[in-house]
Amino acid sequence: MTKRTTTHATFVIEREYPHPPAKVFAAFADPKKKARWFGGPDDWQKSNHQLDFRVGGKESISGGPAGGTVHAYNAEIWDIVENERIVLAYEMHLDAARISVSLATTEIKPTATGTRLIYTEQGVYLDGYDDAGQREEGTQQLFNQLEAFLTT
Amino acid sequence: MTTIAHATIVMERTYAASPTRVFAAWSNIEARKRWSAPADNIRIEYEAADFREGGKDVSRCIEPGNADYVATVIYIDIRADQRIVFAEDVVHGNTRVSSALISVELTPKGAETHLALTMQIASFDGAGMEQGYQFGWNAALDNLGKEFAQ
Repeated sequence: MTKRTTTHATFVIEREYPHPPAKVFAAFADPKKKARWFGGPDDWQKSNHQLDFRVGGKESISGGPAGGTVHAYNAEIWDIVENERIVLAYEMHLDAARISVSLATTEIKPTATGTRLIYTEQGVYLDGYDDAGQREEGTQQLFNQLEAFLTT
Repeated sequence: MTTIAHATIVMERTYAASPTRVFAAWSNIEARKRWSAPADNIRIEYEAADFREGGKDVSRCIEPGNADYVATVIYIDIRADQRIVFAEDVVHGNTRVSSALISVELTPKGAETHLALTMQIASFDGAGMEQGYQFGWNAALDNLGKEFAQ
């Protein structure tokens, strides 16, 4: 029997963007826009990004280094408040193993100069495959990619 | 402007039953209806129940004089007799009040079972739902113990 372990952790990432909330929200809501920044490193092989952006809709993407482990992300959207809030739950697999389940909230708030984005991920890391430190690092990278996309 | 309050609550119990019996009390919908109602004047009705990975439950928590709380659960990770992880969304009247990630771990301890329930909550109505989860699950886990009393 596989030794089952769980580790719970929460991390928060805050970013400021010199863009209005509607532009930041659209980078999450529009499948074509989200596909531009949401994914692994450039040298990974990727499958098609799928996003059905509505409450109850699903999102998926998978990818990984050529010939290496496949990282698969599957999400379901729980709540959307236009230009303000997105709540989703997602699971990650490495090949066949489910390595984590997370509740991710994205809050988008107007500021004098643009937008403050507050991303909070409450996760449970399963069976010792991953931890919050690695996940936070990977998520910081995603938000760097979002920042680059917003300035294009 | 919307604001989200995040919280993590952990509850633990030790039950005089095997992990197999404790797991069955979660997987069996009739058992769950008995123990999950947090008070005598509250009843739980299921509109959908599908206990498997990817399956969905929709339940209604009915209390006289209060709007129903409707909870939608999606089971994400189920390991028989060991672990259940699910995501839950709660709507009160016409308002979505919270989303949560909930995990249940069962560990054998001699002839007994240690249960750890971890609730990672994103509440959209301030601290209200955090208190709701505290009250509701404390009572439910006490009730669950009574399932094994005979």
